[in-house]
Amino acid sequence: MEKRNNKKVIIKISDLSKSFNNNFVLKNINFQLLEGESLAIIGASGSGKSVLLKNIIGILQPDKGSIVINDTEMVNLSRNLKEKLLLDLGITFQHGALFDSLKNWENIIFKTANKEKINNKQGKQLAFSIIKQLGLQPEILDLYPSEISGGMQKRVAIARAICGNPKILLFDEPTSGLDPVTGSLIDELIKTAVKTVGGSAITITHDMASVCRIADKVILIDKQTISWTGTPKEMFNSRNKKIQEFVKPINSEIFFK
Amino acid sequence: MWWLTLLDLFLEILGTTGKKFINFVASIGHFFIFFGSALYWVFKPPWYFKKIFQQILDIGYFSLPVVGLTTFFSGMVLALQTYNGFTDFNSESTVARIVLASITRELGPVLTGLMVAGRIGAKMAAEIATMRVTEQIDALGTLGTRPMQYLIAPKIIASFVCIPLLVLIGNTIGILGGYIIAIYKLNFNPSLYLYATMEYLQLIDIIQGTVKAAVFGLIISMVSCYFGYNASKGAEGVGFATTSSVVISSVMILTSTYIITALFFG
Ligand SMILES: Nc1ncnc2c1ncn2[C@@H]1O[C@H](COP(=O)(O)OP(=O)(O)O)[C@@H](O)[C@H]1O
Ligand SMILES: [Mg+2]
Repeated sequence: MEKRNNKKVIIKISDLSKSFNNNFVLKNINFQLLEGESLAIIGASGSGKSVLLKNIIGILQPDKGSIVINDTEMVNLSRNLKEKLLLDLGITFQHGALFDSLKNWENIIFKTANKEKINNKQGKQLAFSIIKQLGLQPEILDLYPSEISGGMQKRVAIARAICGNPKILLFDEPTSGLDPVTGSLIDELIKTAVKTVGGSAITITHDMASVCRIADKVILIDKQTISWTGTPKEMFNSRNKKIQEFVKPINSEIFFK
Repeated sequence: MWWLTLLDLFLEILGTTGKKFINFVASIGHFFIFFGSALYWVFKPPWYFKKIFQQILDIGYFSLPVVGLTTFFSGMVLALQTYNGFTDFNSESTVARIVLASITRELGPVLTGLMVAGRIGAKMAAEIATMRVTEQIDALGTLGTRPMQYLIAPKIIASFVCIPLLVLIGNTIGILGGYIIAIYKLNFNPSLYLYATMEYLQLIDIIQGTVKAAVFGLIISMVSCYFGYNASKGAEGVGFATTSSVVISSVMILTSTYIITALFFG
């Protein structure tokens, strides 16, 4: 078991590059996610954050580099083993990716229902136990994703990701499009998942307030690579031009108070 | 030198058509890889019976009205055309025989196939393409299912089972359509007409029609799933998948019906 500062290394990305039609989106990406750590990835739209996440979960194949999750190399891993490994991950996609032919509760318990026999009553109960932490009403359980608001869909997607208490959370913009109150509810949830359950999380976000609340470490992706790494605190004092652009709106908000 | 210019031109034409041809061959190869993989998942347990049942309802049951309507009118028009077109032979036996053979061998399967390609093929392609574009297929893979097994296999199983049944029902309705015209418009003798129908009913024709229907079921589901599964991002991706699957499966239905007929009656 690889360790660093006495902590287990959960995800280790080394020298990862990814291109589409000879255009590089990511070049030589290196970072690690440690046990109990919450990592935030920031970067402009189109900088390749979602592509990075999709490489980690094996939806996209990197051109080169290595992705190790829980000491297992993911690149070129057999399908079966990859699927097993993915079961320990809770993932949300940027646009929700809820199954529109299934009701919300069926969406939420999808992975669990695939593993074990579960009747409708138990399923709904399980789904309810999760959505109540997310400020959702039980009435939405029997509706389809298309019948609830965008913000609610976002939370149902998060509920689907955390159902079964996976130890590794990968969230692609979980709070974008949510009101600040619900946004901070989600942040609390991520923090709780990391601190109390001993999980680890990678969250892609544009929301600097959210970064401050949840992250131990921040990574900035710019010009195809990681151009800055630090803590949220360091971020606010950074001289890095790009980082300043990201934190400026928040700094000026504080200034106006 | 003039022949060098000509050679250049020739090579250029060859080059561009060559590229197109290679792309074409590559996409056919791509399709057959998909075909093989889908077939593998059809036979691989566990099966999602609930999904299969839903598909059977959708493909079989809900296609009944449109299939019934088309074959009914085809039977009627066949009886009328035969009567008008072959004045020398307009006896009960000729009309019954022509209606029967045309419906069971060709019109029943082909019309049913085309109708289902339009109705179900388009729907399958649009559904899967939407799931591809909205990353639902990616999500499936991360939640402990294989998209091919969960999404594609049930559709192929259901099409393969349903379309032959639809054709058998369509054939019956088509023959009934012919019967109604023969009796009520052409004033044929009902028992003579029925007798002729029963006499000329050939097992080989029914088998041929059923084989065609099963092949059409495979064509429609495979082509639609293929275009849906490989849809490119964006709303155009869904539109392209839908139209392509209807056009390609219709063309393949009409081509394969010829091939199967030639094999049966070579
Ligand atoms: N499947 C794909 N095929 C081709 N290009 C892609 C694909 N996915 C993403 N890209 C490109 O990669 C770049 C990064 O996209 P993305 O990771 O979604 O950005 P973001 O940082 O906003 O999440 C974009 O320019 C996008 O067009
Ligand atoms: Mg993104």
